[in-house]
Amino acid sequence: MSDPTKQIDLLVVDNIQTFVGQFHILEGVTVTVPKGSITVMLGRNGAGKTTTIKSILGLTPPQEGRVVFNGMEIQGKRAFNIANLGIGYVPEHRAIFRSLSVLENLKLAERKKGDFDRHSEFVFGLFPDLKRLYKLPGNHLSGGQQQMLAVARALVPDNKLLLIDEPSEGLAPILIQQMMEAIKALSETTTVLLVEQNFIMASQLAERYTIIDDGKSVKSGLMEDLVHDSELIHHYLGASIKTREELEKAHES
Amino acid sequence: MKAKNKKPLIIIAAVIVTAGVLALLYITAGQQTFIRTALSGLTLGSLFFLVAGGLTLIFGLMDVLNFAHGSMFMLGAYIGWQLYTNPTFIFGLLPQVLAFASGVLITPIIKPYLIRWKVPEYWIKILPKIGYLLSLLLFFVSFIGLDILGLADTAMVAATTATAGDALAEISVQEPLAQYWFRPILIFISGALVAFSTSKPGQKSEFAPKEKMIRKLIIPIALFILAVEATFIRETAPVTILLMNGNWRFIIAIIVSIIFGFAFGAVIEITLIRPLYVRPTFIIIMTLGLSYVIRELVQLLWDPLAYQMVRPPLFAQRGKAASLLEWLQNGNATIDIVGVTIPTYRLFVIALGIIMFIFITILMTKSRLGMIIRAGVQDPQMVEALGINVKAVFTVVFGLGVAMAALGGIGAGPFLPIQPIMGDHYQTQGLITVVIGGMGSYGGAFVGAMILGMARAFGDYFALKYSLSTAIAEASTVIIMIIVLLARPQGLFGKKE
Ligand SMILES: Nc1ncnc2c1ncn2[C@@H]1O[C@H](COP(=O)(O)OP(=O)(O)OP(=O)(O)O)[C@@H](O)[C@H]1O
Ligand SMILES: [Mg+2]
Repeated sequence: MSDPTKQIDLLVVDNIQTFVGQFHILEGVTVTVPKGSITVMLGRNGAGKTTTIKSILGLTPPQEGRVVFNGMEIQGKRAFNIANLGIGYVPEHRAIFRSLSVLENLKLAERKKGDFDRHSEFVFGLFPDLKRLYKLPGNHLSGGQQQMLAVARALVPDNKLLLIDEPSEGLAPILIQQMMEAIKALSETTTVLLVEQNFIMASQLAERYTIIDDGKSVKSGLMEDLVHDSELIHHYLGASIKTREELEKAHES
Repeated sequence: MKAKNKKPLIIIAAVIVTAGVLALLYITAGQQTFIRTALSGLTLGSLFFLVAGGLTLIFGLMDVLNFAHGSMFMLGAYIGWQLYTNPTFIFGLLPQVLAFASGVLITPIIKPYLIRWKVPEYWIKILPKIGYLLSLLLFFVSFIGLDILGLADTAMVAATTATAGDALAEISVQEPLAQYWFRPILIFISGALVAFSTSKPGQKSEFAPKEKMIRKLIIPIALFILAVEATFIRETAPVTILLMNGNWRFIIAIIVSIIFGFAFGAVIEITLIRPLYVRPTFIIIMTLGLSYVIRELVQLLWDPLAYQMVRPPLFAQRGKAASLLEWLQNGNATIDIVGVTIPTYRLFVIALGIIMFIFITILMTKSRLGMIIRAGVQDPQMVEALGINVKAVFTVVFGLGVAMAALGGIGAGPFLPIQPIMGDHYQTQGLITVVIGGMGSYGGAFVGAMILGMARAFGDYFALKYSLSTAIAEASTVIIMIIVLLARPQGLFGKKE
């Protein structure tokens, strides 16, 4: 993590074009994710961030362009094959399995027998609440707990890369803090591609950023450069970010 | 929160209504009639459940209403009946079935090499088509001159002369090996060509690791060896089976029906349903059409006649058993239950339904497959994103559902006349059951099936008693469905959308 020039790219999304049904949603998105760090995708609502993540995973396969993971072209392969290469996914809107218990949600994510046992200590260390709740069905959890479970689920198998889509969405401030700590902790061992609308959180976590606007990637670089470039922030992220005061306050602390 | 409090209320209400209805029936019919009618209701209910259980599992996971389910029930009955009465037909075709399957199942072995094969762009599209065409050609050539109808006839003859007692007399000769040997070989190649085409030679975006080659070899090689074996025992195996004790023969018939149902369901899902998931209404029309194709095929093979399957010895002895133990020792056809004479085979069918319900419950709540199914009902995409091959799970679930229907078919074999239309009634009742129980709920299917079975049995009883038309009994199930739908549009155990 120390010297960016030495990093190799774990994931390269190279100019992908994706159609959902007849709609041309992505019209050239390029994202590179260096190994061992957090990269964040920023952009307004409906910009195409989620679609980019789903295109990487093969849930909405890109028609054009390349996706290279760990040196292997993965575009066009089936989603479960892509996931089994070592990619974990935390979907937006806390898509946990509501009819399964917490434990079952975690067990389901196993790729090899014993995945859960090996990682349960780490997972419950990050989210102690889940240990207490592990017999409850998913639909009895609060929104925050569901979000924790969605992240925890991605930590059960050995993943090289985690795709995390808006983990702070709809969380109370105290839970946002906890979520941030958790993501920081898991990024020590795993590379992360994050989508985050909460700019404060994004700026504190991520090393690099890519801005997606209207289905295209328009800018990318180091996060520390972006936080000082208020013009850029307002031009592309405008409505979706907090006021400058809030931003400053966050950076003072 | 509201939903949580409502559930016990509904269950209490349902229990009270059920108890009330049963008490009323008990009083009006009297103890003896009540027990007899209730047991025949449970028998029907069991069969309804065996059809509805598969329907609801399939619908829950894949949103597919299989209108060929009743035909698959019927097919299960025919296959089991064939094995039980005279397996000449089954063993005559077995080598080809096994050889074809073995050929198709080499896919995971050859695919890693084929997709890495450097094929010109143009040929990537053409090669699979050539493969499929050649495969089809060889498939048909492998059957040329084989007297399939003759093979099928043997069981027909055996069935109609069963009273003569000597089933072995009806064993017909199979084609001599000297003429037969090329068939399994051709059809193996035909299967291998399917494997070639589905592997998509040259298609680099396909994914197939070369790992675990040894493990992938096991199944096709095992099947191939079995195919060779089956080629040599075409004539002796039917004799061996017919010389067996009838109870064992019946157990084998059940197992064969289940295996057949699973394989048939899996093949139908892969070839006919999978391409249509994006067009759900087409699936309904396709399965409806399929049910007619199956029926016509069966009529072609075994004529549109009704056969009576001889009950296995455990249920065939004359005389009434006084206790369960006595029945199991002597194999009586009827048993005395608190003064009422009950055919023992009914108890078997009821047990079959209950065992299957327990099996599904354990499968769904305790196994990993069950977990995947429950998760897939809600969000198949997310299941796939966890690294689980959802398409394969669909195939397995469809196979399981059809296997259950086939089990119902052979279970009903000694109880219903075996004929091409025997599944139609169960198809309708199965669908009504699923609607009453709640789409996708196997518990609901069980309760719904039992309610319908009881309604039918008591409907018949009262119709007879008051000399009304038996159509009333048939209508009663629809009336129950309408009442349930008005009170709870999602069905008794269904989840609100
Ligand atoms: N299934 C679909 N059919 C039609 N349009 C879709 C579909 N899915 C997404 N879109 C459109 O694609 C665009 C990008 O959607 P996407 O969900 O990727 O955006 P996003 O950047 O993740 O937004 P958000 O911040 O709201 O999550 C949006 O305009 C959306 O309306
Ligand atoms: Mg989104």
